[in-house]
Amino acid sequence: MKKSDLSNLAIKRLAIANRGEVAVRIIKACEELGIETVLLHSDADINSRAYRMADHKVCIGGSLPAESYLNIKSNVHGALAKNADAIHPGFGFLSENADFAQACTEAGLIFVGPSADAIRSLGDKVHCKELAKKCGIPLVPGYEGEDQSVEKLSQEAERIGYPVIVKAAAGGGGRGMKLITNLADARERIESAQRESLSAFGSAKVFLEKYLDRAKHIEFQVFGDSVGKVRHLFERECSVQRRHQKIIEEATSPSLTPELRRKMGEAAILIAQTAGYRSAGTVEFLFQDNEFYLLEVNTRLQVEHPVTEMVLGIDLVKAQILNACKNFIFSEDQYKSFQGHSIECRVYAENSYAGGMPSTGKLGHVYFPEGPGRRFEYGFEEGDVITSFYDPMIAKVIVWDESRPRAIQKMIEVLNQSIIFGVHTNIPYLKAILSHPEFIAGTMTTQFIGKYFAEPIKPPTRSTEMNAFIEEIKKAMTKPPVSKTSSMGEGYQNPWTEYWRIC
Amino acid sequence: MQKMDKKIGGEMYKVVAQCVDDKIWIHMNGETIVLDAEVSTGRRRGKSSGKDAKSNVILAPMPGKITKLFKKQGELVVIGESVLVMEAMKMEYTLKANINGTIKKVAFKEGDQVVLGAQIVDIEPAKEV
Repeated sequence: MKKSDLSNLAIKRLAIANRGEVAVRIIKACEELGIETVLLHSDADINSRAYRMADHKVCIGGSLPAESYLNIKSNVHGALAKNADAIHPGFGFLSENADFAQACTEAGLIFVGPSADAIRSLGDKVHCKELAKKCGIPLVPGYEGEDQSVEKLSQEAERIGYPVIVKAAAGGGGRGMKLITNLADARERIESAQRESLSAFGSAKVFLEKYLDRAKHIEFQVFGDSVGKVRHLFERECSVQRRHQKIIEEATSPSLTPELRRKMGEAAILIAQTAGYRSAGTVEFLFQDNEFYLLEVNTRLQVEHPVTEMVLGIDLVKAQILNACKNFIFSEDQYKSFQGHSIECRVYAENSYAGGMPSTGKLGHVYFPEGPGRRFEYGFEEGDVITSFYDPMIAKVIVWDESRPRAIQKMIEVLNQSIIFGVHTNIPYLKAILSHPEFIAGTMTTQFIGKYFAEPIKPPTRSTEMNAFIEEIKKAMTKPPVSKTSSMGEGYQNPWTEYWRIC
Repeated sequence: MQKMDKKIGGEMYKVVAQCVDDKIWIHMNGETIVLDAEVSTGRRRGKSSGKDAKSNVILAPMPGKITKLFKKQGELVVIGESVLVMEAMKMEYTLKANINGTIKKVAFKEGDQVVLGAQIVDIEPAKEV
């Protein structure tokens, strides 16, 4: 029996316009739904887990994102060539590109996500703010004008009052985002944001916003079902950010009262409903002194969606796919309450002890300690190469436990036991954050990393005995295993012959 | 890949070790340690970034693309001044001068891809006054 015979859904074969762990995540959802998969991949990604898992694959271009993952035509043609009837864009790349959604629809492909119009009205941050104003949702003071000259932008930054943040209008994920603290920095930071924006999103348009200096980042998961009903699926807190890139996320926020949760949830539903939103989306807020301000709406699945799934028992990717098949309708009592607490850590290929310097190379042994309430989302395995072409996120570690303190404790232990060889990772950095009193108290703001983790963390000190042992391992690993009658001389004992098990 | 249990200072350590290319990777009780596989021959390996020491060259701290050069040959630079911007893994990194001096040579142009450790800029140190 062919896989597709099991399914009576409108989608029989789904193409994935993405890579890495999210491509794996989508493939798994499709497998469970009896949908075949087509991976649209670049030259660089033939050595990846998604490539090995997908039913069909098409190379759509070169390693540079602009040649493949950001190329609308290549993605659409690739999907059509393999007879796919739908495209899931994942997150990043073309996931919030309205032209892509439209191109898919025009080519007869179902776009798994909101309509092109909804992406246009919410995904463009400037339009989104106009809509929020109409809905009466509070906004952070800023400049969203069409005049994009560096002179005008610098003037507006002066007017808003420093610190001011400059952001990519089409962006997300921290790219094309810079902080301006004085007039002297303004030009360089604005130009830099424009360049990053152009390179990452294909548009140099930026806007300015006053930078709240002790705000929390709290976002609401929303979902518009097949009959147009929008529900919120509670919030996530993502205050632990470095250079505006999220590092640790959790559901729910340790800072919201039921009253604030209700108010913010209602605001999130209102803006999504007004835009006619379908599928999964996220309404991001800044939260300071018990006031909340709309930050932006992400018209796609989020990297941190698993923490919501863990506390609600929903599968957002399957919900997206079923919704695209017009087959997902909320029942009244579903997802009305959450249970326990979930935390996600993003594992980045970077050196914790060198200030987060990116680390590339071939992966060695990779091991994640499975167990109840532990989830590992990863796109690369031993032998795969982490290149500098893409985002440095190589895995996500997600835990669930009955309370926040227990979830933190579990996460630290899981990270202790996780092994990634071949590239440096931020695991030591993550553990340091998870152990920080302010994180444990749940009072961290978006300033947390800048305040406590601006300097690279220090490698642990070791005892003389430990150092001697490490030297011993080094010798044993450098020289091939030798017998006792070797030339190593009397008295030298190769630790291998004594206690190594070769796996 | 090898595994072993080892008692050090009264504490039991679970050790996993593996050679990946020219490095030895060791994981023990939550810590990952990386060592050069070659037995030390006294040969010094090149500095990775020159970030800590005073350096009259700016090396690429990672493979990536040069997106912006702020300085041309012959221009003056002071400590902490931005000299160029590189992009790798979709993020921008600004590389700064850590000595005062004059730009002697810029070996690449905007848009060039560079490998790890590539010597991008040479700086002629200013004479101490």
